[in-house]
Amino acid sequence: MGSEYLTNNIRKLRFEHGQMTQQDLADKVGVTRQTIIATESGRYAPSLPLAFKIAQTFGVPIEQVFQYNNENL
Amino acid sequence: MSILQKRAWINLAGAVGLIVTAGIFLEVSMYINAQVHILFLLLALPVGIVAGFACYIRSISAEKKLDEREKTISRKADYCAGITFALFLAIASFGIFFVSGAKSNVPVYLLPLLVLTGIFLAQLVESATILIWCAKEQQDG
Repeated sequence: MGSEYLTNNIRKLRFEHGQMTQQDLADKVGVTRQTIIATESGRYAPSLPLAFKIAQTFGVPIEQVFQYNNENL
Repeated sequence: MSILQKRAWINLAGAVGLIVTAGIFLEVSMYINAQVHILFLLLALPVGIVAGFACYIRSISAEKKLDEREKTISRKADYCAGITFALFLAIASFGIFFVSGAKSNVPVYLLPLLVLTGIFLAQLVESATILIWCAKEQQDG
């Protein structure tokens, strides 16, 4: 049985955008810092609107922020 | 700590407080061997209903402040609480049936007691699920 998982570059992008803190990002996308922590560590898969908001905050396409890996594909 | 976690801790502390208060009351009423418990119940029931309603209203307004992850956790916790409640009622009902037999009588107070115990258990499970889930997602944060 194959596995699927979502990886992301949020940490890297935060540091490329003037050392943005998790709290700053959370405030910009309208969630709590805990949600950013969980998303960044890959423990929470955000909804599409939230994923787009995060990408828009960094000014990059969504696929530069999130990568979907599925061994079955 | 998020609003959801605070709410869960408050619920958990409230549940523990309730057990301690009920235990103390039971102990005292048995010690003085009086009918005070009926008076206490008459006083406690409306207070409990008003307090429960106030908590419910407060939890609705708090729900609006939650973000999508917290709402998901809250839904999962509600689901676990619902299953706990249903399972408890089923096990307790069938337990009584098998233990006391099909044709025996059970005291009437046992039925509301079962429902109240079920609600109490569901509340405990809901709070515990929220705390465990939040801790699980925030590991290595």
